[in-house]
Amino acid sequence: MNFLTKRLLDMSLSKKLFWLVLICCVIASFLFVHNNYAFYDDTIVAVTATKIVDEQTVTDRHDNMDKLFTQYVSAVVKNGSAQGDTIRLTNNYSKSQAFDEPYKVGDELFVTLTSSDAKKMSATITGVKRDKYLLLVAWILAIVLLLVGKKQGFSSLLTLLVNAVILSFALDLYITQSNQSLLWISAGCIILFTILSLLFVNGRNKKTAAAIIATLLGTFSSLLITYLALTVTSGKGLRYEELQFITRPYEIVFMAGLFIGALGAVMDVAITMSTSMFSLYDKDPTMSIKALKKSGLEIGKDIMGTMTNVLFFAYVSGSIPMLILYFKNTLPFGYTLSVNLSLEIVRALAGGLGIVLTIPLGLYSALFFIKRQRAKL
Amino acid sequence: MNTIVLMTILLLLAMTIIGGKKGFRSFIALFLNFSVMIILLFFMNIQSMNAIVLTLIACVVIACINLFFINEITTTTKAAFLSTLLTTSILLLVILAVSDLALIHGFGEEETEELGAFSPLIGISFMQLAISVIIMSTIGAITDAAIAIASPMREMYIHHPTSSRKELFQFGLLIGRDIIGTSTNTLFFAFIGNYLALMIWFKDLSYSIGDIVNSKIFSSEFITICCATIGVILVIPITAAIAAQFFVRKSSDRK
Repeated sequence: MNFLTKRLLDMSLSKKLFWLVLICCVIASFLFVHNNYAFYDDTIVAVTATKIVDEQTVTDRHDNMDKLFTQYVSAVVKNGSAQGDTIRLTNNYSKSQAFDEPYKVGDELFVTLTSSDAKKMSATITGVKRDKYLLLVAWILAIVLLLVGKKQGFSSLLTLLVNAVILSFALDLYITQSNQSLLWISAGCIILFTILSLLFVNGRNKKTAAAIIATLLGTFSSLLITYLALTVTSGKGLRYEELQFITRPYEIVFMAGLFIGALGAVMDVAITMSTSMFSLYDKDPTMSIKALKKSGLEIGKDIMGTMTNVLFFAYVSGSIPMLILYFKNTLPFGYTLSVNLSLEIVRALAGGLGIVLTIPLGLYSALFFIKRQRAKL
Repeated sequence: MNTIVLMTILLLLAMTIIGGKKGFRSFIALFLNFSVMIILLFFMNIQSMNAIVLTLIACVVIACINLFFINEITTTTKAAFLSTLLTTSILLLVILAVSDLALIHGFGEEETEELGAFSPLIGISFMQLAISVIIMSTIGAITDAAIAIASPMREMYIHHPTSSRKELFQFGLLIGRDIIGTSTNTLFFAFIGNYLALMIWFKDLSYSIGDIVNSKIFSSEFITICCATIGVILVIPITAAIAAQFFVRKSSDRK
């Protein structure tokens, strides 16, 4: 406790003010999402009691054992004309919970009233109110980022927000101006994302300039190679039917996603390369270009392996539940993998190419700036 | 030729030409990680197995591949290994709490129609699978950050062997703050790229903001991104502390 008070006293006034404002924001936003029922058109109910009334063991046609439950749920209506009334709902769920879930006291649900007769109200459950949990996780992320990252944490938080806003605007532009190609829009986005993120994270200097050039060259060249590879093989082995939620030409959407997905990793490599090249040069400005090149390449080799893995896991992991569902429905192994993983694997491979190509690109663009600086001296 | 085969060959060539022996090793590591994933899937199919426990075991194996196979077994990689495991365990607690509340497991109602031909009663807990997805998507990023902090700390300690544990810890935090922006960005863009189609879909069908944030598909994606990023941030102080312990303890043994 002493330590805490000391920390608090040591803090500058502006810092104290910052945390105070932040805490106010947290409290205000929590108060809002816990009381925003009036903003929803759908009826919301809060669960007050639950009771399992039926339970049976079932075996499906693939010999999978499961259990089915029937649950009575009592809930209070939170908005609309029936506000304050108690309602009884029936919920069926399975033990594996693929499409359903049990409800517990405190959960808030969206329902459609099927009969609004005050005596015998009935309704069907249409969804769960999850906004408060999203807010909770977002605040945990923001606070951990600020506590660990301090100033840099704050700027990365800003970068994330700005990038999300740009993306949203770009997609709006794409939806409303259907004659604009998604690829051009995402190319524009990528240039904006790169410049803004690297400037925010690293400040205005030569290192950033070198990293921006390397990122753009790396992303566009890996995209070009992927595009050529897709054209040469005419996309054989790719199962686009797995690309869910598709309302637009799927190949373009896939390419655009591939384009944006690798960007973060490529930026990461580019900035690591240029920062370490410049710090080598700053330590010993007499270092020969050849020696610089060699050290830079060593650093590149060090980060290559882990970076390609970052993308691989970020892409492939999301398919786990779907893969298990396929396996358990006794679909063939090879078919299941190719339907569910082909696009993710191509994404990971294309991203990996981007990462690997950015290593020499980052090296040479940093060298270019270092040479220019040297010529001036 | 199959696109995946061609792309794999291209990546192998690029990694070997640019990275030499180490590049080739990194490619093999990628392949090994893919195999771990497949083996994990096989075990997840067994009803009596707990998917979360299986995922944690897979994480240990993956951390071994990423740290000890690509690099070598040194004090640095050992410190990074321990930090990875500790971070994953702490992150698991956060994920357990959130996923129990937010009910983000299973498939969204938007997917019901497409999966209509499947029997959903497969006896495998989708809650556990959802948790395992979050951990698996961030394990690569956590090991990456752990080694990125532990290596420069070792360099620092070699150049300044008199530094105290606290100084070394502070240095680790400093390095961590330098990479915090880019690592959060890496995950952010990877997820955005993966779910671009979904976002266009939401916009095309003019979902309201309320519909989007409460839908299972979006909220599970959002919670995955946030938890994955929290993991990458948590690994920074944890690695700084563990590596400082490891390096400074080693020198006192020598005395």
